[in-house]
Amino acid sequence: MSVLSVEALRKTFVRGLARRRTEALRGVSFAVEPGEIFGFLGPNGAGKTTTIKILMGLIFASSGTARLFGTEVGRREAKQRLGYLPENPYFYDYLTVVELLDMVGRLHGLPAAQRRQRASALIEEVGLGHAAGRPLRSYSKGMLQRAGLAQALIGDPELVVLDEPMSGLDPIGRKEVRDIIVSLRRRGKTVFFSTHILSDATLLCDRVAILVRGELRDTGPLGQLLSPAIDGVEVLYTADDELGARIAAGPGQHERTSEGRVARVADLAAANAVAKAVLEGGGTLLSLAPHRQSLEELFVQEAAAPGRGAEAGS
Amino acid sequence: MSALARLWAIALNTFREATRNRVLYVLVVFAALLMAFSVVLGELSLHEQTRVIKDLGLAGISGVGLVIALFLGVNLLSKELDRKTVFFVIPKPLHRHEFLAGKFVGLAVTLALLVAVMAATLAVVLALEGGLHDIALVRAEVLVLFELWLVVAVALLFSSFSSPYLSAMFTASLWVVGRNSGELRAFAEGKLSDTPIGALLSGVAAVLPDFHAFYVSGGMLGDATPVSIHGSFIGWGYVAQAGLYGAAYGGACLVIAALLFARRDFT
Repeated sequence: MSVLSVEALRKTFVRGLARRRTEALRGVSFAVEPGEIFGFLGPNGAGKTTTIKILMGLIFASSGTARLFGTEVGRREAKQRLGYLPENPYFYDYLTVVELLDMVGRLHGLPAAQRRQRASALIEEVGLGHAAGRPLRSYSKGMLQRAGLAQALIGDPELVVLDEPMSGLDPIGRKEVRDIIVSLRRRGKTVFFSTHILSDATLLCDRVAILVRGELRDTGPLGQLLSPAIDGVEVLYTADDELGARIAAGPGQHERTSEGRVARVADLAAANAVAKAVLEGGGTLLSLAPHRQSLEELFVQEAAAPGRGAEAGS
Repeated sequence: MSALARLWAIALNTFREATRNRVLYVLVVFAALLMAFSVVLGELSLHEQTRVIKDLGLAGISGVGLVIALFLGVNLLSKELDRKTVFFVIPKPLHRHEFLAGKFVGLAVTLALLVAVMAATLAVVLALEGGLHDIALVRAEVLVLFELWLVVAVALLFSSFSSPYLSAMFTASLWVVGRNSGELRAFAEGKLSDTPIGALLSGVAAVLPDFHAFYVSGGMLGDATPVSIHGSFIGWGYVAQAGLYGAAYGGACLVIAALLFARRDFT
């Protein structure tokens, strides 16, 4: 059974006195399986947060179904097995992180001793031990994000839903969040997270879904979504001016960089020819790198593909 | 885990929020100053110091309590939406109506504590002036507390579908009309009886919350008996009856608020 599934999900917002309609989701379907890290990708305004808000019971779908652990979203039994970090988390800023975790622990039905023990372990895990007694209003954005992660995990959930968890974090903070996500998978948890930071998705995700203007463009393992074909090879070498000029007269694009000379050629055969010329001419071969489609290129390609043109929600 | 424990988690948080709000303390200090001022006014009266302190003290508890109930009541839900904390709390394992009920209970407990603190202050001021904080005054304070709880329930109902400014305006208007429901009924049943306006006024008086039922000092009860905390005051039976009325009316407000809240999109 899927941990999370949506089927033909649609959401239309009606705004203002003029009853202006905005189609945020247009028949989105996908499922998340137990134990996987699932990346929900899309540019800003693609409908990622709208989908997550439906899954979290914050808004209601116009049509279609959304299920958590096989039951309809919004049911308390399903929410009991769920941990959620909202985008740009806003918490009760008069509370300390200890009080926040105590409150969420109470809502999860944890006994007092377990609440205390889990809260102090999580505060250390997210690196907030030094600020545990301070009210949340004094926290930086990165610290709030960590507090948000801690509150999402206090109920020891089977499914963790993170909406843009790396947003606003510095490189160290992002690495720490990535480490936490990986450790969650190691503990058998399912992680569903939305992001538009593609390097994070590349590093973490077992599968991704790409949402563009309220439509799902692709779902699957990254290896399957990205084209395995080599679409070019980059040869980096050093050579004297005469050898360099001779190689540059051949096929491909050629330029000089601070590291040496670069030849960008169409395929491996052409790259081998360049390498052979470098070595036979007395130059030094520094690297030979075949280029395959990256997630970023796939993302840009999907985002640029024509949609139905209506504006989507965020 | 019981619904009661989840409700209490929200109530405890609401209580923490209210008691960490500095405006609350400013208003309580204002009430204490009003009581202190009543001593000065009492000195100006002839042998009526205790009477003036009781009247002003009770008015202070009611007035300050009302401002706090209105201010916190209309912000109870709107603050959650404005500060986006609702995005964090609704996905937690609780029902939306439990969240709403928890918010109400948290504020009700806060108001009970405030009324108790202000009543204790009044008792001290009275004792210093040789007066007694008697049982009639306790009954009047309990009625004030019931009234404040009803104000919060009405404010919560309005804030479940409108802005805090509109909610405050609607609730305050209802309170003014409700406090004068006796006059409304007198008009409807007197000069205007058997007229369409009289029937309309009767209907309005029956539907709107009867806040007058909670502030009876100096008023007349249904059988035209004058009541006063200085003389013949209402008994515990009346307090219980008014409490039941408040519970029924406030409960209805909360049920309607919960129904509206249950289908609301938090965008």
